[in-house]
Amino acid sequence: MHPLIVLVYSDMKKDYERLFTSLKPMEPPIGLFERIILAIKREKELQNTRRILFSFLCLLIVSVALAPFSWNLLEKQAVNSGIIQFLSLALSDVNVFISSWQSFSLAILESLPVMGIMLFTINMALALFTLRLFLYKKRLLLSYLMKKAY
Amino acid sequence: MRELSDKELIISYLKGDEKSIEFLIDRYLKPIYSFVFRFIGDSTEAEDITQEVFVRMWKNIKKYDQERSFKTWIFSIAKNASIDFLKKKKAIPFSKFENEEGENSLIDKLIVSNPLPSEIFEQNNIGSMLSSALKELLPKDRMILFLRYNDHFTFKEIAESLGEPLNTIKSRHRRALIRLKKLLI
Repeated sequence: MHPLIVLVYSDMKKDYERLFTSLKPMEPPIGLFERIILAIKREKELQNTRRILFSFLCLLIVSVALAPFSWNLLEKQAVNSGIIQFLSLALSDVNVFISSWQSFSLAILESLPVMGIMLFTINMALALFTLRLFLYKKRLLLSYLMKKAY
Repeated sequence: MRELSDKELIISYLKGDEKSIEFLIDRYLKPIYSFVFRFIGDSTEAEDITQEVFVRMWKNIKKYDQERSFKTWIFSIAKNASIDFLKKKKAIPFSKFENEEGENSLIDKLIVSNPLPSEIFEQNNIGSMLSSALKELLPKDRMILFLRYNDHFTFKEIAESLGEPLNTIKSRHRRALIRLKKLLI
């Protein structure tokens, strides 16, 4: 660009900048900063609630869906292992059980449906944890869901 | 903390320092509020939109490309939030924002690079005169002039903030100046 044009152009820019200084400066209203910080905090809480709700729903679906399977597995394994017979014998004839409790205990332990028990226990723990999560955050979750509904 | 650059504040916030974002908001509150107010023309609505701008900034700060200028990024959020508001409100026909370039190629070629006549500055009510003249301009043209002469943005920064090609911004700027000058003289 020609130096003269640059000079004229910079004069023009200065002129307009000077012109714009005559405008009343726009001051943000008092309290706007605090309002913004509060809105961000609220948004953070909302995000956390959404996250909790999502994990609650996931856990609920998983625990409800797995419950019949884990129960069926436990039931089948218990029937097949013969533990029920051992237990019923131990309960019906306590004297026999007491006299040879070591053999009985070993037989019961050997026939334990470990896999079924483990899966069912995990399933129940998950369900309890979901319930606890819901009870712990119920007010937060319900108010969020109510807000969404309206 | 106040001496830290925008980028340093963002990095510090992403590392877990919650206070950094407050400094960043404090730094940009006035320019963003002014920008939105000039765009919308109503102080109550400008407050709400300004709040929305900073909430959007917070929501997207993890996605922010640190190679980009933070200033232009936040102004582009402000522009989008203002446009979204106007779209919802439909206060002005939206066609006003679109496809303005090339409308009058003759105007683009006119030279406006001459200083303003000194009589303009001698007027007592120059502030209100300028305010009403600016209101006559298209919102986008008004924003370009504000960003250029009030917030001292370069053309490149304006183009990035408003999401328009550099040449479009330059021709809009030229047209806006011609129109403003006509209104003032």
